[in-house]
Amino acid sequence: MTEPAFFILTALLDAPRHGYGIVAEVAELSRGRVRLKIGSLYGALDRLVGEGLVELDREEAWQGRLRRYYRLTEQGLGALDAEAQRLAANARLASTRLRDRRNPITGVASL
Amino acid sequence: MSRLEERYRFILRLLPAAYRQQWEDDMVAAFLNSMDTGDPETTAYAADYGRPSISEVASIVSLAVRLRLGGADAPPRSYAWGQAVRLATLMAMLAHAVMVTTSIAVSLWLSGKIAWLPTPESEWANTSPSSIWHTAWNLAGYAWLPAYIALVLGHRRVAQAVALLAIVPPALTTAVEQATGDVPLSVSPWAMLLVDVALLLAMAAFHHGASPVPRRPWLLALPVGILLVPVPLFTIQATTPALRLLDWPGLSCAAVTAAMVIHLTVRVSRRRPRTLPWSLALTLLAVSTLALRTATLTDYGDQAQHTTLATIASVQAIAVLAVGVPLAVLAIRALRRLPPVPATQRPTTPTE
Repeated sequence: MTEPAFFILTALLDAPRHGYGIVAEVAELSRGRVRLKIGSLYGALDRLVGEGLVELDREEAWQGRLRRYYRLTEQGLGALDAEAQRLAANARLASTRLRDRRNPITGVASL
Repeated sequence: MSRLEERYRFILRLLPAAYRQQWEDDMVAAFLNSMDTGDPETTAYAADYGRPSISEVASIVSLAVRLRLGGADAPPRSYAWGQAVRLATLMAMLAHAVMVTTSIAVSLWLSGKIAWLPTPESEWANTSPSSIWHTAWNLAGYAWLPAYIALVLGHRRVAQAVALLAIVPPALTTAVEQATGDVPLSVSPWAMLLVDVALLLAMAAFHHGASPVPRRPWLLALPVGILLVPVPLFTIQATTPALRLLDWPGLSCAAVTAAMVIHLTVRVSRRRPRTLPWSLALTLLAVSTLALRTATLTDYGDQAQHTTLATIASVQAIAVLAVGVPLAVLAIRALRRLPPVPATQRPTTPTE
């Protein structure tokens, strides 16, 4: 799963959001580190909808135009959960090794 | 519709029609929303005078390349074009890599570094470059070899950066030489440069969605290519002076025509269904080669043997056309038989 896709799914966890709502939420979640461009957002969204991980929730009028809201599907929830566990396992692995490196004699965390 | 929206929609036209039908309005809404600063005056000013930022445009261009030149999971037509551009790029890069490898060997031979080969005749040795410009040109050209290897190994950005090294110094050299009058004004170097720039841009087709390049056959193609083309060519040219009239566009015409003849023979004899990307790739190469040949033809006007050279060039162009046109017709017919959009429509209506 690409990083934009991961953040889009995470942004949709708590509520359905429209395109720019996703961009804003992703920027906030990542503390400004991931700033999705519209082309990247819709490239990822198109794939996520195609794979059945995200679906259309509703359409609402905004300044004279329709704005679509997207939500996570059950399949999307499962995919995000699996990816989060994979990333967490990877992070744990690195953290353990980093701790061992800091305290090579006991192998126990010194912090 | 505001000017800003018009400008954004104009850029969105890079995307395929089917994709735009599904996503355009939503993208426009999201983009305009992103330009809404909350202050009505600033937002109104942006609506009239604002432009999509370079990074926004780049994200659309990158999406357009990924959609139009798709990978294995893309719709059939997009995949066929994507694979065709990737194959054509690999073949053109291979040609460059083969020729520079040979030119490294020839330079070593001319400078007497290869002891077991007979000493070059003085006539050949005299053609070895002496000026600093020519040395820069030759050294830069060698970058095609690592660029090709990087592309085959899946390092697209490295390949593009290295290829840039092969393109920029010759461009500067040509510009300076032609501006100072060291060499007469000519179209050929610029036409070849244009093809190289197209090659650099075409490397964008090797995006994340594209399947990796099969390493073994493409790496093996390098020594095989050297043995098949430059080695016999150099031997023949060394013994038959008349054949030295074959320049780079001429050699490209000959190579592309030979490749098309082989491809057509295999296609007709085996009737393999997966040959469409190869047909399209060779058609793309034929069009580029023909354009290169036609553009460089204008440089023959003030040369001593211009009638002979123009005749040879015309024969080369006719050969490419004679094989290229039937191949292009076959390829376009096969392309039209493919469905343009995916068979399953994505959900666009509320599912509640």
